[in-house]
Amino acid sequence: MKRLKNHVEELFKDIPESEQKKAIKQEVLENLEEKVWDLMEQGKEEEDAINKAIVDFGDIEEIKMELGVKQPTKKNMTKLNLGYSVWGSLLIIALFIFINVSYSPETIWFVYPTFAVLWWPLTMYFHWQRSK
Amino acid sequence: MIRSDIIRGHLDSIILRLILEEDRYGYEISKEISLRTDNRFQIKEATLYAVFQRLEKKELIEAYIGNVSQGGKRKYYKITLLGKAYLKELVEEWNEVKEIIDLFMEGLK
Repeated sequence: MKRLKNHVEELFKDIPESEQKKAIKQEVLENLEEKVWDLMEQGKEEEDAINKAIVDFGDIEEIKMELGVKQPTKKNMTKLNLGYSVWGSLLIIALFIFINVSYSPETIWFVYPTFAVLWWPLTMYFHWQRSK
Repeated sequence: MIRSDIIRGHLDSIILRLILEEDRYGYEISKEISLRTDNRFQIKEATLYAVFQRLEKKELIEAYIGNVSQGGKRKYYKITLLGKAYLKELVEEWNEVKEIIDLFMEGLK
């Protein structure tokens, strides 16, 4: 029976402590114990009976939902990504302009890599818009 | 065993009905469901306690701790007035649904 208690403890461990949780845990444990006694009376070994009770229990998520445990939501990072890409691409473009002006001022070639680099913030902008 | 997602939407009715007959506790209800359906449908405990929580929140059932003469200090559930009215509505709704689905399901092999 110790194993059953441990299992119930394990099931409920993600749910924040509250009176309600304590009550329902107690209730679940009592009812499961009775089920195990019942199964043993029908001729099952204690080990088997406990296993069956545990398997029959099902998915604890349903109870969690009723107790209002919030599922962790993934934080929306798309805005941060956009900011990073804007600053990152500005730095890269500035570097190209600097090299262009100081080493070969007679030809303006920095626009070509600039167009290529701009795809980065553009993609992130699209991503951010879509996530709204 | 039957696909439980079809029954799932009617668990409230099933459990309210069982509590309407007499005050019952958790394991008794799951045993009764298996017994009456001849093990064709078995409710998972996790589902059962989730339904209890929901029904209690909606004040359709009430919990109390039973005394020893009832066979132990268990948590019993009884149906409230609101619960009875709600169950009556569910029954009417089910009859309606049954008729509609039967329009399409009956007579086919």
